[in-house]
Amino acid sequence: MDSSSVTCKKLTVIAVLAVLIQVFGLALFVLGFFPVKPALSGFSGVESFYPPGADSAEFQNITNLSDSQLKYLYQELSLVPPLFDRLILMVIDGLPAEFVLGKDGEPPPKSFKEAMPYTQSLLSKGRAIGYHAKAAPPTVTMPRLKAMVSGAVGGFLDVAFNFNTQALLDDNIIVQFLKVGWKLVMHGDDTWLKLFPGIFSRHDGVSSFFVKDTIQVDQNVSRHLVDELSRADWSLLILHYLGLDHVGHLGGRNSVLMVPKLGEMDEVVKMIDLNSSPTNNNDQGRTLLLVVSDHGMTENGNHGGSSFEETDSLALFIGPTNFGSTSGTPNKANQVDLASTLALLFGVPIPKNNVGMLMPETFKSLTVDQQLRLLELNSWQLLRLLEAQLPRLVCENFSCDNFRDDGSERTRGYSSLEETFCCLYMKAADLHRSWKSGEEKRSASGDNCHSILMAYHNFLRTASEWLSHRATDKPVGRLIFGVAAMLVSCLILLSLLFLLGKQVFSEQNQQFSSANNDLSWWHLDEVFILVVIVIVVISMGSSSLVEEEQYIWHFMTSSLYLLSLLKVMQHIVTRTEKNTSATLGLRTNNYIQICSIFVILISGRFLRGWHQGGVNWTNLPDISKWLEQGGDTYIKLFQLVSVIILINISLVSLMWSRRSKKNFMTVVSLMHLFPGWLVLHYITKYQDVAFSTGSYDATLMAQVIYVVLGFCSTTIVVAVPWCIPFQNRTLSVPEVQRKAWGLCFRDSAYVIGLSYVYYWSLLQLLLQQPVNSMPVLFLFLQVLASIWFSSGSNQHRRQWVEVAALYYMGMAGHFGLGNTNTLATIDVAGAFIGVLNHSTILSGVLMFIITYASPMLYLLSMVMYNSVKDTSSFIISEKGNIGLLLKRTLGFPCLVPLGMNSILLIAYTIVLLLMRNHLFVWSVFSPKFLYVCATTVCVCVGVSIVASTVIYISLVLTYREKLHTHTD
Amino acid sequence: MDTLISENGVFLPIPPLQAVRLHFILGTILVLTFMVAHTFFPINLITHPTQTLFIIWGIVGPVLMILFGHLRQDMEQCSYFRAAGRGYVGLVAGAIVNALGAIILGAPVGFEYFTKTLNWSLLMSSFTFVPAACAFGSAWSHWHRVFAETKAFSFIDYMIRLPAYGAVIGAWFGAWPMPLDWERPWQEWPICVSYGAMVGYLMGLVASSVCIIFHNRRQQHLKGE
Repeated sequence: MDSSSVTCKKLTVIAVLAVLIQVFGLALFVLGFFPVKPALSGFSGVESFYPPGADSAEFQNITNLSDSQLKYLYQELSLVPPLFDRLILMVIDGLPAEFVLGKDGEPPPKSFKEAMPYTQSLLSKGRAIGYHAKAAPPTVTMPRLKAMVSGAVGGFLDVAFNFNTQALLDDNIIVQFLKVGWKLVMHGDDTWLKLFPGIFSRHDGVSSFFVKDTIQVDQNVSRHLVDELSRADWSLLILHYLGLDHVGHLGGRNSVLMVPKLGEMDEVVKMIDLNSSPTNNNDQGRTLLLVVSDHGMTENGNHGGSSFEETDSLALFIGPTNFGSTSGTPNKANQVDLASTLALLFGVPIPKNNVGMLMPETFKSLTVDQQLRLLELNSWQLLRLLEAQLPRLVCENFSCDNFRDDGSERTRGYSSLEETFCCLYMKAADLHRSWKSGEEKRSASGDNCHSILMAYHNFLRTASEWLSHRATDKPVGRLIFGVAAMLVSCLILLSLLFLLGKQVFSEQNQQFSSANNDLSWWHLDEVFILVVIVIVVISMGSSSLVEEEQYIWHFMTSSLYLLSLLKVMQHIVTRTEKNTSATLGLRTNNYIQICSIFVILISGRFLRGWHQGGVNWTNLPDISKWLEQGGDTYIKLFQLVSVIILINISLVSLMWSRRSKKNFMTVVSLMHLFPGWLVLHYITKYQDVAFSTGSYDATLMAQVIYVVLGFCSTTIVVAVPWCIPFQNRTLSVPEVQRKAWGLCFRDSAYVIGLSYVYYWSLLQLLLQQPVNSMPVLFLFLQVLASIWFSSGSNQHRRQWVEVAALYYMGMAGHFGLGNTNTLATIDVAGAFIGVLNHSTILSGVLMFIITYASPMLYLLSMVMYNSVKDTSSFIISEKGNIGLLLKRTLGFPCLVPLGMNSILLIAYTIVLLLMRNHLFVWSVFSPKFLYVCATTVCVCVGVSIVASTVIYISLVLTYREKLHTHTD
Repeated sequence: MDTLISENGVFLPIPPLQAVRLHFILGTILVLTFMVAHTFFPINLITHPTQTLFIIWGIVGPVLMILFGHLRQDMEQCSYFRAAGRGYVGLVAGAIVNALGAIILGAPVGFEYFTKTLNWSLLMSSFTFVPAACAFGSAWSHWHRVFAETKAFSFIDYMIRLPAYGAVIGAWFGAWPMPLDWERPWQEWPICVSYGAMVGYLMGLVASSVCIIFHNRRQQHLKGE
């Protein structure tokens, strides 16, 4: 052996090391790129009623004030009496503002409008002001609640923490209320309790993770209403209704449950409003009812992305009297504006990191003087935040004289950001000052006050927009280190792959000498594999191709198999020409190959057509929509047919296992049959009731299936290598024994690999949406077909091409199951099948299993792939060195997916870095990056399962052989 | 006149100049057809893809049959009209193969796309299958040599293979802009794919001419020695 050869041990150690480096680098990068730090620490206090830069020493003595003293101090300082005394914050999870306010000047759909008569009458009477409050992505509950109460746009990684909520430590409106002695009560989503542990006097938390439940979850909130409304002890009542979001998750926007649910919400609004009106009893003070939603939902009821449907959340202010003069058309605002608006309405300091501006329409009942004062307070707060983020922002340095002359306020003319902000602010402040000094002439200057309002709005809007879109400061060193680590790991994996390829290639050349000279140069399909990688990497830089990635994978995979077809065609006729050497076996082999390519291509096309996928053309017809229109009966029929076909195919494939004891095979067949029957039973009996409340039986059944699947797969893995018989034991010729060893290895790997693939598909049939059952069957067919295809191609196809093709098909299938690169398509409902008590980890694992069904299936099929490759020849020639065998069987199936994934990971990381200021960085590129990270995890898990299984098989077989020779 | 001899027998000679001239005629006719559609019936691929494709294959297809009927390889057994006639069989068979290939690669399926796919596949079939069908008939070994192997025994191999490959590869690349969100009308199936196929075909014609000239030079050089 020459020096370039790597031993199996070395290879493994280096590969594991590379993976560890990769994970480390990825973790560094993720933590650096998605920072979760606020710009200003601490809480706003008295200083927020003074202009920035005022002496802070005089605020020291107020620290020991009591709650009520502080409240009066704030009132005194703010110069504006609070408009309301109490706040009822009613959060309706997932309610699109469109349902209440309509869209583009159109009224909402008739059925929705009729479902909410009381709310609509309030709107038409002018007692309510409605806003389309645009939410920032990611549109999931926790980051949105944080944005509402703190006024800051949260970090993207809040999504990841959505399943592990932690207390909100930044300045926020709830804490400001608490500081002035408010008593807080919360009923509803327990996310609030996790955000604000221990500050609610009374609370009843419900879990947001039981998507199946749409009724009880809201009754648990409403049952407290009568009691709470009759009490006068609280000042803030939070009601968080989850039912509407659950309705959406189960049935989409047009679910039959939607109209009754809207009606229920309207009843709640009516009840609160009638009970808290000032005529009722005056000891409670003026109550503001604020109806908000945290995010909207897509047509299918999912959320998480940044489409209009998802970000269109509601903010509806309902007061005891009219809000002054308001126009009938719905207003537009940002969700973050709620924090500053509430703070100013109730006369508390605005939270420190707030980036929102007040919603002017709600202050119409105040005098102009008071309105200007509130705008001033908001401007001071934003200016403080700007000063913290732009260190060079010192307004004395800029001479902003030029704007005073021209009337049009153009922000474009300023040379720097700092100058823009300063000049806009100083213009407003100067105008305000001159207005105050000339108070006696106030009545004469109506235009003047309008121009001051405009100047303030101008500054606030510019600052707010910049602050919320600002790319947060990133620790450059950490990012570079992370990228470097990933790059190093990628290079290590690729060089390992290259070394291995070179070694295998030279060995093959020795073995087949000159008979197969077509091994010596690059083939079209090998080049194409590399072309695919290059094209995928390039396409990652385009936001529209990231959105429509499913087209690329399907197109490239199909093209790859068409090229393979061309190649097989070449060989088939070469053989007919050389009639002497062409044996019948080889020719049938070719026909099997052609048939399997057709199976792969046709299944792949069905998978492509099943879900339209992507973002831009989701409305185009596809098979799943067509089936859903057809009704549940057809979907169920398809589901049953898929399970039955799956069971039959797996049994037939099991029979192909060449030589095994009959009893043993019967046991294995039964172990395949029984879980299949259980899944069939679950689908026929329980699936319809799984989403209703009384689904204890269904949950139990699902748990039984999990246990049975786990038990069967473990048993098969552990037992099969011990039970497959060695043949030809009577002959003591070592070469024959070697051959027997190889056959035994292949048989074990075949049975175990088939069981892996089969059990995984069964699990998917249980977990995936009913409409996805047929695609799972197609994926299973594709796996088997590619295994057949590889079994017939020992000669003219290199191993790494086949493994890479399997990896590509896994990615194409990933999108075939309806996944996209937005977070909205993650199937949340499926993650609660068989979960009785809410468990974050369990649901997370199920979600991962559902989302990564296809890539995992293809990784697991590598075990089976090992079994069809003729390894016996190497074993004979290498005198039974187990390390060499493992290197030959495991080298490519493990290194190729790892290597390809590392290329995609590093390429995408660099793309993300380059795109960090792109408009779509949070809506398109960052979700895709999360998917890339999850794919990395999937590849690592899959490869380690494959590697440990194959290592276990060969160790057991070697041990058995030793045992056998000893007894002889 | 040079005669190439292969395992399969004697090929009829084609003077290189004639081959290049034929390519030139084909290219000109394709471009002319396009312009005819544009000027006489004021239609183009973007506004009326079905009709334009129909006009193009309706003119180019028969022209190919007429020209390649002259180049039939089995002169003794097959009359000129029969050779041109089997082009029609090739046209239909090739249309089916091309349509299947396009659908496998993701072409949309549906009634509204039926006529578009049909006309596109007939155009592709004219570029790929018709010349081979006219020249070789159903001789499997010829077909295999032309389409599956890389070696060429005669000019006719270049003349059939390179433009056909050009059309297929051009169509493959032509599909690339389709998923982009530029919202241009030509991103629809099969407009950009047809453009790609035609450009690829023209490039294939040029490549074929270059190969023939190069091949001819080398042979004359060899003969000279």
